Amino acid sequence: MTLAVQTQGLRKEFALGWFRGRLLALEGLDMQVKKGEVFGLLGPNGSGKSTAMKMILGLLRPTGGRAEVCGHRAGTISARRQIGFLPENPYFPNFLSGVELVRYYGRLSGMGGRKLEGRIGELMELVRLGGEAGKRPLRTYSKGMLQRVGLAGALVGDPEVLMLDEPTAGVDPAGSREIRDLILELRERGKTVIFSSHLLEQVEDVADRVIILHRGKKLREGRLVDLLSKKGEWQVRVQGLEEAGRRELKAWLEKRGAQILAESAPRERLEEYFLRSLPEEMRK
Amino acid sequence: MTGCIRRILAVAGNTFLEAVRQKVFAVLLLFGLVLVGGSNYFTEFSFQEQFKFLKDLGYASMGLTGLLIGLLGAAQLIPGEIERRTILTALCRPLRRWEFIWGKYLGLLFLLFLMMGIMAAAVWAVLHWKEAQLIAAEGRDPAVADLIRAEARDPRMVQAVLLVGVKLAVVAALAVFFSTIATSTTFVVAMTLMVYLIGHLQSVAREQWLESGVATRWLVKCFLVLVSLLIPDFNLYNLIDEIVAGNAVHWNSTLEVTGYSVVYVFILLGAATLAFEGRDI
Repeated sequence: MTLAVQTQGLRKEFALGWFRGRLLALEGLDMQVKKGEVFGLLGPNGSGKSTAMKMILGLLRPTGGRAEVCGHRAGTISARRQIGFLPENPYFPNFLSGVELVRYYGRLSGMGGRKLEGRIGELMELVRLGGEAGKRPLRTYSKGMLQRVGLAGALVGDPEVLMLDEPTAGVDPAGSREIRDLILELRERGKTVIFSSHLLEQVEDVADRVIILHRGKKLREGRLVDLLSKKGEWQVRVQGLEEAGRRELKAWLEKRGAQILAESAPRERLEEYFLRSLPEEMRK
Repeated sequence: MTGCIRRILAVAGNTFLEAVRQKVFAVLLLFGLVLVGGSNYFTEFSFQEQFKFLKDLGYASMGLTGLLIGLLGAAQLIPGEIERRTILTALCRPLRRWEFIWGKYLGLLFLLFLMMGIMAAAVWAVLHWKEAQLIAAEGRDPAVADLIRAEARDPRMVQAVLLVGVKLAVVAALAVFFSTIATSTTFVVAMTLMVYLIGHLQSVAREQWLESGVATRWLVKCFLVLVSLLIPDFNLYNLIDEIVAGNAVHWNSTLEVTGYSVVYVFILLGAATLAFEGRDI
């Protein structure tokens, strides 16, 4: 099994200041993320998601335990070459334009020349900010645009692993859908994506596996399909069955000892309905 | 190595760009230029005194404007990036922390040297304007005209500008050092200013203590040695006053002070790297 990210007993305590003790932010996190997986870090605010991410990125030093990225110790240059990061809120130098931001991040990753310029063009198209939009200053961008340009910045060094901290927080449903589609596109391209979120519905749509954290401790871990399947229940959706047929089917099920728990017409999700209500050009 | 230089230059370029796109730096530069330009209207003195006044105010304006730009720029270097959290997206890349610090310092230095270049050109222009005015008014006598030219085209201006530059380079390195341990921009400005003032006063205080005999106690001696090692002696840059006064200042002295400044810059940036290396972001 090829691992993209691995942590063993990862622990972080923060000193609160003189005579004020220490705060335990993360307690012995064990985590394994396979290459090509979309992995969700879930939990409420203050559960330790961002702390875990920052230690994997080398921005925070662990109080205990260890983390590795593609076999390299977290925080080393070789580990950071393998990671792209999109922070929780769009923290970018807003005096730059979209293209300038991606160019700056490319140079920080040691890139330059035609190779970098080609990569910038490709990424700006990928995040749908090509043309004039990429030349505008970042301070004129919407939050969704900032997240997308941040994603281009995270991808500029062609990293193996992409870490996204609350990528859809504060973004409208259309923008949120775009980011979700981009995550799925990246998975198609073989990238490993680790993202944190407290918006559980969105995680459900993209994550292969998740970890649920609470107050720095791991509560659950597993594949979504295993965690969310209700054992002993079976669901079937049908189309074109008349009332008489339904009655007949229910009678047949009861005859075999099955208890009907719920019966309703399937509902669309509000997000899907909202997006469908928008004019065609705004849905893109 | 190419990648390392590229990364340092990327940080430096971004720091420089951020500064030049802010109005406050343009306003400060304008303030410096107004000071230099305004000095031309003091005409109540003899021509030697007028030139002395022009040079004195010109170099002082360069130093003051540079100090303000350096302090404001440095205050935004690392605490500003931490406050805005833009540092997260920079340091998560394959960028070493010392490369980040050197990049920030060089960016600030580019800004200071650009400002100094513009102001030095303004001082030079004012001196030549004054030369033309004075020759027209008093230069019928060729001997007087030669004296006016000699004052206006004083080659020691290069030495004076170099000394202002290296002094500002040390102030910028001090500010960078404090920015790596600070949590707020106010702290950086306050600490840099404090050390700047102590650096100006320390040699005077040391001499007084030595003369008073207090320094014979070993504890006081150790303290004096420590202060003189830790804090750069900014009185060394008073060579600029000698140049303004028209006294000969040997190039060796200027280069010695330059060397002293370079050593301090390396010490301060080394200390900044050590302090920043283990810092949680």
